[in-house]
Amino acid sequence: MSREALQESLSAVLDNEADELELRRVLSALDDQDTRATWSRYQVARAAMHKELLMPNLDIASAVSAALAEEAAPAKVKQGPWRSIGRLAVAASVTVAVLAGVRLYNQDDITGVELAAQQPAQQTLSAPQAQGPAVLAGYSESSEQPTGPMANGVLQNQAGWDQRLPNYLRQHAQDSALKGSETALPYARAASMEDAK
Amino acid sequence: MRAISLLSLFIGSCLAVPALAANSSPQANEWLHRLAQAERQQSYQGSFIYERNGSFSSHEIWHRVADGHVSERLSQLDGDGQEILRVNGKVTCATSDLLDGAGARADTAHRTLDPLKLMSWYDLKVAGKSRVAGREAVIISVIPRDQHRYGFDLDLDTRTALPLRSLMVNEKGQLLERYQMIALDTDRPPGDSDLRPRPGCKPLTPAVAKNTAARIGWRSDWLPPGFELIGSSAQVQGDDKGAGSSLLYDDGLSRFSVFLEPIKDANESDIRTQLGPTAAVSRHLVTAKGAIRVTVVGEIPLGTAERVALSMRAQDIQASQ
Repeated sequence: MSREALQESLSAVLDNEADELELRRVLSALDDQDTRATWSRYQVARAAMHKELLMPNLDIASAVSAALAEEAAPAKVKQGPWRSIGRLAVAASVTVAVLAGVRLYNQDDITGVELAAQQPAQQTLSAPQAQGPAVLAGYSESSEQPTGPMANGVLQNQAGWDQRLPNYLRQHAQDSALKGSETALPYARAASMEDAK
Repeated sequence: MRAISLLSLFIGSCLAVPALAANSSPQANEWLHRLAQAERQQSYQGSFIYERNGSFSSHEIWHRVADGHVSERLSQLDGDGQEILRVNGKVTCATSDLLDGAGARADTAHRTLDPLKLMSWYDLKVAGKSRVAGREAVIISVIPRDQHRYGFDLDLDTRTALPLRSLMVNEKGQLLERYQMIALDTDRPPGDSDLRPRPGCKPLTPAVAKNTAARIGWRSDWLPPGFELIGSSAQVQGDDKGAGSSLLYDDGLSRFSVFLEPIKDANESDIRTQLGPTAAVSRHLVTAKGAIRVTVVGEIPLGTAERVALSMRAQDIQASQ
């Protein structure tokens, strides 16, 4: 099997879009050191794209292999028509294991952030780096990011909304600022809406 | 029937509040009381930064308490240089962009921090110590008791209880916005020249507070617990000026606005967007008055904003009179 095909399958598994064949292909190739390295590189890339924290040492593959080894034995004992059903069951359980693994992986990310937040301020401060609002070196004031329909990665391509949204945001910020409060927060929010115009 | 339900609600809340408040620490409560007082008793000047996703700005603040009057001037140090001047909590002048059209909506009600009210909806805890703007600070964690509001970490100056830093965090502990003093001087009160606004600061003429929810003709079937109506106006900025109405709700800390506008096209799709601390949800409802676009904008979670939008109902005018 070609290297490219394997990488494509790897990527599909990572995105929860692999079919059974691809899943098997990846699982059988995972003993290979190179494939494992590619797998973890893809995970880093995926985490970066989704702005998630990365759990660097979580190895789902080995857990899945272990599950396979355990399940394969009773399946072999079966004969005749039951055998293929047994195989299907193995495939299904592997799929579940991988999906659950990816799920767990994601949940662990969130827990990680939560844990960070539960510790006092200094720890909380690390959150924006994972979130993305931190100002990057290449940041430019004119990027117009805040009011665009793509803000925060939520694609909303509704005609009229792009024009209306800044008005709503501004009026809300202004009305809040007019009501006053103990901090300058409503004022600062209103001013930051103006900058985003 | 209504009286009975109101009565039971009243009794229920009387019983509930002390029990709920027990989760908050008296020290944190004490600090927030000091914070509320500090704004009315302490003169200071300083500078701060504000950051939410995709936006970062720096500002200067002058706050003077003299002869029982509180004057405050806020001025942006970068960008357009927005400016606002408040006397005794009321905005007296603002740069045109900042409060464009807001004069018509200005009214006299001024909100102050009430720790007792906050304790019903948030757990207040002293979370530790920190150092902000070169000063010792105590961290007060304001933790929401339900999923309908965000939490805060407030760093208060140990000497004066003034807010040095405010971090808003969502239910996953992710930072949504940051307000942070970078310099604070509490020994030197601002002079007259510090409180004199720039020429671009236009005076606001307070309008008569005549708008009420009843007149606007909308009510909400459901509100997140603790939020109450603190303002309303028969005006929505936007393409159809004057055609809609807006309502402002507050739980003592977080606020959201509801905009209601009649629309012709009932097939508009529903929209939701999250911009740092602010959620925006737009839905259309078909009511007896025709198709209405309901937009909820505020510092509340997206799901809560959506539920509020779905719960708006046309007020029965007969019943309210």
